[in-house]
Amino acid sequence: MSRIIETRGLTKVFGANGNAVHALRGIDMAVEKGEFVALIGPSGSGKSTLMAILGCLDSPTDGRYALDGQAVEGLSGGALARIRNEKVGFVFQSYNLLPKASILRNVELPLLYAGVSRRERRRRAMEMLEKVGIPEKAHVLPAQLSGGQRQRVAIARALANRPALLLADEPTGALDSKTGAEVLGLFKELHRQGNAVMLVTHDPHIAAMAERKVELCDGLILGPDAAAA
Amino acid sequence: MASTGAFRERVFSAWVEIRENLGRSTLQALGVMLGVASVLGGFSISDSQRRHSDELFARIGGFEKLNVQPSEAIKDGTQPSALQNANLGLRADDASQGERVDLKAVQGVSVQKFARARVRSPFADQDRQITGIAADYLAVNGYTLDKGRLFSSRDLETAAPVCVLGYEAVSVFFPTGEALNQVIRVGDIPVTVVGVLREKVFRFRESQGNVFAWRNKLVALPATLVAQRMEGDAYHRLDRVVFKIPDINVIEKFSESLSAVLKSSHRQQEDFRIDDIAKRVKKRRSQGDVYNMIFMLSGILSLVGGGMVNVNIQLATLKERVREVGVKMAIGASGREVFKEFMTEALLLTGLGGFVGFFIGVAFSKVITTVLEVPLYMDPKSFVWAFLLALVFGFLFAIYPALKASRLSPMEALRYE
Repeated sequence: MSRIIETRGLTKVFGANGNAVHALRGIDMAVEKGEFVALIGPSGSGKSTLMAILGCLDSPTDGRYALDGQAVEGLSGGALARIRNEKVGFVFQSYNLLPKASILRNVELPLLYAGVSRRERRRRAMEMLEKVGIPEKAHVLPAQLSGGQRQRVAIARALANRPALLLADEPTGALDSKTGAEVLGLFKELHRQGNAVMLVTHDPHIAAMAERKVELCDGLILGPDAAAA
Repeated sequence: MASTGAFRERVFSAWVEIRENLGRSTLQALGVMLGVASVLGGFSISDSQRRHSDELFARIGGFEKLNVQPSEAIKDGTQPSALQNANLGLRADDASQGERVDLKAVQGVSVQKFARARVRSPFADQDRQITGIAADYLAVNGYTLDKGRLFSSRDLETAAPVCVLGYEAVSVFFPTGEALNQVIRVGDIPVTVVGVLREKVFRFRESQGNVFAWRNKLVALPATLVAQRMEGDAYHRLDRVVFKIPDINVIEKFSESLSAVLKSSHRQQEDFRIDDIAKRVKKRRSQGDVYNMIFMLSGILSLVGGGMVNVNIQLATLKERVREVGVKMAIGASGREVFKEFMTEALLLTGLGGFVGFFIGVAFSKVITTVLEVPLYMDPKSFVWAFLLALVFGFLFAIYPALKASRLSPMEALRYE
């Protein structure tokens, strides 16, 4: 099986010299296609930094990273944008929908950046909204939706370009436990359909739903998974 | 690119952004509006004023005349030289020579010889200026015949005792009616009235007097008659020769050649004065250009001022929108795409502001020209200028905030609170 994520010796240092903060101190990890991985760890352990690097939002200070077989070190901003667009789907704790655009337009946006034609954009966005169960909300603004519905829209948007990797950063953090459970159910379903999912959380109950847990502490991977690669 | 409708989407999002922040957007567009209005208004007012005065000028005499008058070649306090004494002044020859300088350009030659004399009719007895005329005097000066006829070439050659009267002269000397074929005495010469002219009227404004009142006082005799029997000398000197040259662009050149020709036939003495109206017109026009420069400058200044306000607002709102930029980047917008989106928004705003500015400018020009009682004239070029300036400045001032937005790091933008 080919690997969707493969890193070797990833480090990330913020700041310089005297007050440098070592957020990541050498991460070696691998995620297979179709895997459901939970990234856990206390706050300050480097989870978000790692996720940002895995999602190509940020570049590592040192180390090597291949996403879906493609090395991303040294790529230009434009190339990284294309990778984010085509290979990664982000789901954030605070949904991060564009407030002035309709639900449909929100979901269409990654397709627009990918250069998909207008008709095809519409069709695929509707398909994604059906997948997350809220096709009837296509023409309303995000403010008119509940938290759970908004997160579903965010997931639909993340899926729109059929990414190789779905990255979710505390996706249920802002939801009550019932809607949180529904959203998690959706992730499980997506995983069952063959999507690789990486879930960042500090909640061990949520992490328990994943096939595998990767625990991060002080910028290093703890436990048996440390040697997974 | 066109098939994906990305441009349309950008324009649509930009429109949504502008609509959702109407107050802020209006403020941003204000500079463009005022700049466009100021350039357009300034140009239009100056163009209207210029066109109006050109029209007035054309109607009261026109640019198309080149006057030649005799002048003293002798400087004050010096004795005239023999050559100067031997000169013959302005003569009929000069008129015909001048016409031959450029037969195509010269559309008419008017010749005048002045005298003063008592004019007596059965009804009045007045001291009057007498104008001895030849050639195309009446046509060149825009007179039209009411009754009778003009002087024939035979009249002019033979110094026939005939006269043509202006409207006012008729009403003074023949208040009861028919002047035609009556005889009046000009000095000691009895002359027959062969023609009566129509009234010439021109007022700058309705309330003002007739600028052409003096022209209606005309008592015209053949120049030959005046020269031979009233003010004359052997050389038939003239008091004024006017060449009618409709093409304003050739007047200057004609004036130079005319001067050379006359000088050579006047024994190299410059005892004549050529009044080049075209030169005056050009001077007036270049003054108009100065006004246009001033108006353009004030337009540019308001565009610069507005542009800086715009940049400020853009940068301030960028802070509110950092997160939005971060989200867009996370789902795949490149820096270039973000740049395009910000530019689209700024340029759309410029376009809308410019459009409103057009109306403000037109209204502004309308009000000012109405106050000045000048008909409004708007040159399409003014619109082009105003629009180009707005576009250039809109573009220049949009670049910095758009670049700043496009260079945000996606991670930091997403975390921005």
